[in-house]
Amino acid sequence: MRFPRFFTKKRGHRRTDSHAWGSFAEGLFYALLVGAGVVFGLLLVTGTVSYAPADPDSVVLQRGYEWWMWLLTLLIPVALLAFGGSGLVRVVRAWGKSQEHRAAASRTVILEGLAGASPAVAGHPGVPSCDNLENSPGIVLRYRLPLESPENWTLVGFGLFALLWNAVVVVLAVGVGADLIGGTTDWLLIGLLVPFVAVGVGGVVLFVRAAVLSTSVGPTHVEISDHPLVPGMSYDVRLGQGGAHLFRSIDLGLELEETATFRQGTDTRTQRLVVRRVPVSRWQRVQPVPGGSFEARVAVTIPADAMHSFSSENNAVQWRIVVRALPDRWPEFTRVFPVVVLPVKALVTTAISETVQALE
Amino acid sequence: MNTANAQHGDDYVPPSTAQPFPRIELRFGHPSRGYDPGEWVTVEYCIEGLNGERPRALERSALWYTEGKGEEDLGVHSFERFATAETIDRVVPEGTFAIQLPTSPLSYEGVIVKIRWCIRLRVYFESGRDHVSEHVFNVGRVPPSILP
Repeated sequence: MRFPRFFTKKRGHRRTDSHAWGSFAEGLFYALLVGAGVVFGLLLVTGTVSYAPADPDSVVLQRGYEWWMWLLTLLIPVALLAFGGSGLVRVVRAWGKSQEHRAAASRTVILEGLAGASPAVAGHPGVPSCDNLENSPGIVLRYRLPLESPENWTLVGFGLFALLWNAVVVVLAVGVGADLIGGTTDWLLIGLLVPFVAVGVGGVVLFVRAAVLSTSVGPTHVEISDHPLVPGMSYDVRLGQGGAHLFRSIDLGLELEETATFRQGTDTRTQRLVVRRVPVSRWQRVQPVPGGSFEARVAVTIPADAMHSFSSENNAVQWRIVVRALPDRWPEFTRVFPVVVLPVKALVTTAISETVQALE
Repeated sequence: MNTANAQHGDDYVPPSTAQPFPRIELRFGHPSRGYDPGEWVTVEYCIEGLNGERPRALERSALWYTEGKGEEDLGVHSFERFATAETIDRVVPEGTFAIQLPTSPLSYEGVIVKIRWCIRLRVYFESGRDHVSEHVFNVGRVPPSILP
């Protein structure tokens, strides 16, 4: 029997010490939470004998609570019981079972939940769902691909920051103004207000700049002739780029991106890395038609040896069509359109089974 | 010394243990260990070095797991557990089994994400200890990724 070591290597779910001791300690922790919840709850429900300091001869045996007071009072013990109880059940259910046994017991959940929020393609475990990519028909081609632009999130982030920060500035400014009107001067508050105003103005400038950048270059549309995609096959892709400015260059290509989510201490981080770039087409000195947009149609071929799209809880391999444009007077921008690539054999198998079903 | 002598192939043996662990030899139907999606994988195995100790249970599984920078994800494609005296005698000390692979995921050697397929045999002993042996194989023919 090996006793647990106090100092062990741990990274995420992996650790070097005994899993049995780890599970035991985890179970003990949850049991303590349940115990604390029970004791705390009992003390609150039964109450303690109390007395009034002004009248020590009278003992209070019963106290009345309003219903909301009961709710508030029992909130902590109920939370302890719920958290500890659910953890204890989880530990007991997993006790003595191997990693494979646990995964097999919840296999349906694992396969359906591989992509987190998005389920897998039927019959293709690990391949993310295409539903969100195929619900918008194109004008010319079959599907219009949804945009996944990090610039939009940047814009939302800048907007929220500017809004919240300036709300704090307004509250401070009202306080300073009220003091001044009342004839008093709080120099500490005024000194605090100056850097707050500077940061607030900076936030607004950043938001306005990001908003101008995202709206002035015009929208980008990508349509595709079929989806999901198969390695070795070619697809028609239609690019539409709006805007009234001259573009020095517009590049369209395919990219394969790996995404890994990992824990570092108490933080959860995600790293993205483009591991393959397939240039498709490049246009230079592009001037969209006034009031219209630049239109181009190209053939995109998925490499025959391409890895299929893959998504699990913490890892993903994703193909996307990427448009990079360099406007004449604005910074370069990138717009990303995710696509799903199936395993090549999977589609052949599916096609054969569909043909057999059709013949039957 | 113990670690070097005790590890055979893909077997994992905790260091500094006094009890001898068994050695599991596993042979794939394809010596190259390369399979296409949807193909049948046939496996023969032999557990040696039990030294008269009777296994309490045996688990055979085919699964994929991720390696790399991210947290490990795991998907079990096939799982069998033999825990009764009759079934144990049929699968220990040697046995064969076959599983049909799914269409995905394929084995992948990425930069920060890797997907590996393997057969795992896990032996539980009456004494409470267990021993796991992992044997990796490839599904599909996706070339390794290199940074552009």
